[in-house]
Amino acid sequence: MTLLLAQAEEPSLWSPEWLPLLPQRLVVDLLTNWGAPDWLVSLAATGVAAGVVLGVFMTAFALLSLIERKTLARVQNRIGPNRAGPFGILQPVADGIKMLTKEDIVPAKAEKLLHLLAPILIVVPAILALGVIPYGREWTPVPMELGLLFFFAVGSLTELSVFMAGWASGSKFPMLGAMRAISQMVSYELPLVLSAIAVIMVSGTLSLPDIVNQQGGFHLGFLPAWNILTPWGLVGGLVFFVASIAEANRCPFDLPEGESEIVAGHMTEYSGFKYALFFMGEYLGLFAISGLGVTLFLGGWQAPLPGLDFVPSWIWFFGKLAAIIFFFLWIRATYPRLRMDQLMRFGWLGLIPVSLLTIPAAGIWTLLWRADHGLLAWVITVPLLLVPYAIMTVLFNKRLVRANRTYRFAES
Amino acid sequence: MISLLILAPLILLAALGAVWKARPVHAALLLALTLSLGGALYIALGAGFLGLVQFMVYVGAVAVLIVFALLITRPRDETEEIARRPKSVLPGLLCTLPLVAVLLYAVGRNVAEPAAEAKELPIERIGELLFTTHAPAVLAVAVLLTAVMLGAALFAREPKSFGVRRLASALGATEELGSPQSADKPAPAFQNPPTTK
Repeated sequence: MTLLLAQAEEPSLWSPEWLPLLPQRLVVDLLTNWGAPDWLVSLAATGVAAGVVLGVFMTAFALLSLIERKTLARVQNRIGPNRAGPFGILQPVADGIKMLTKEDIVPAKAEKLLHLLAPILIVVPAILALGVIPYGREWTPVPMELGLLFFFAVGSLTELSVFMAGWASGSKFPMLGAMRAISQMVSYELPLVLSAIAVIMVSGTLSLPDIVNQQGGFHLGFLPAWNILTPWGLVGGLVFFVASIAEANRCPFDLPEGESEIVAGHMTEYSGFKYALFFMGEYLGLFAISGLGVTLFLGGWQAPLPGLDFVPSWIWFFGKLAAIIFFFLWIRATYPRLRMDQLMRFGWLGLIPVSLLTIPAAGIWTLLWRADHGLLAWVITVPLLLVPYAIMTVLFNKRLVRANRTYRFAES
Repeated sequence: MISLLILAPLILLAALGAVWKARPVHAALLLALTLSLGGALYIALGAGFLGLVQFMVYVGAVAVLIVFALLITRPRDETEEIARRPKSVLPGLLCTLPLVAVLLYAVGRNVAEPAAEAKELPIERIGELLFTTHAPAVLAVAVLLTAVMLGAALFAREPKSFGVRRLASALGATEELGSPQSADKPAPAFQNPPTTK
């Protein structure tokens, strides 16, 4: 696998575009001035790049844990946390201290080693996945040719660590939560990957920076050439974001940890910092998957209108990321939790067929677009996506596909 | 070469553990470890695409499915498994030895020519090969997997009758199509249990 280190074209050290890369460049300059060997320089550069990403997202994690509670409170007409510091802004610090000083309880029936490994193995994939996302024009921590594949490969490790957490706890609710989590993640990873395949087909590359570069420019002078503004991209993007809510185990897909049903799912038997690690893994995973969605469909760091290029590109990326995450919070505050059979039906009979449709649509779109038949591309792909969608809606509404609740043990 | 020397013993240890562990879940997790170390070895040898696909397919899907199957089938007690062990050693060895012989023969034949500088095949080339030269093989595997999936879905339900309806309901598409009462009549809404006075 080829790792291409960011090649600095020596712009001014303090320009805002290069601000996130400042530590990396300073360290590289320092080491080369000392005459350090090449492998040490590249190792240090990667390390510093990872450190910057970790710093940014740990801060974002702390902030989001507060913003989420505040937003939910606002939606529910409450005030939310307001004791620690002005407007409760010290709440994350207080939470952190509480988590660190809590007693670490390991159940007597637990598998000690797996119980310890599970929270660690849940954070690691999330951090690894954050490494390949292009945050700015010059800022991709680890530019990788197979970045998209790497993201999904690493993300698939999460399922096993959730299972480990549930099984190693040696009690009922974690086990139930883990089983729910595995079946949910396996089902919703399919539409996630399928809708990403359409993007891969159109851009012809697995490298995330290249995918963003191809979404640059504007149609008709003002319409950004983002993937979401094409018929297949709109459908694929919506499927991707719905599936990513499910992958991140967030409401309304938070069955694995539904607190009114199975206590806290796979996290039930964890306390103290291990619990905080689960929490952290979940939020970092949320950042990673929404960041991937922004990269694939919302044009990554590209500015939304021409003439806005003077704003550093990473600000656009994080603005889009914040908008997506706010949208997720809004959904969480609005929708009730699904039932298990509804979840499976929605995934297998709703999202997967729709995401499969985006693939032929993307193929036709690319062929016609390359042959300069832009209008024809719209005329063909829109009905191709809309007609099956309408048929599916009718089927769902006629209760042909929808299931009624069945009681296996309660009724009799 | 260094990566091989580091990874190969680890892979062997994990694989031995996967075979030797009496608890099925431990064995499955060690199998996942073996497979992911294999993926790491591919990456170290310069086959990044293969390594990542190995992670995604084997660790992300196959290992998870094995674990899931273990959970819903309630495997036997491990004491029984340990008691059965002496009997299974000899057949196991008999099955393994020919494989080892074949591998040794194959490696011994190829080791003469030095491994050329590992050059990663560009991803476009891999895709081209998969969709042109090897398309029949890919299609055959796809048909096979579809057949397996249909078979599994059918086996999962008890085979009372067979037909389009049966097939559809086995695939989970139309739960109520097969049962007579719900096609024309709306399903009863949830009723509160009768309250006791």
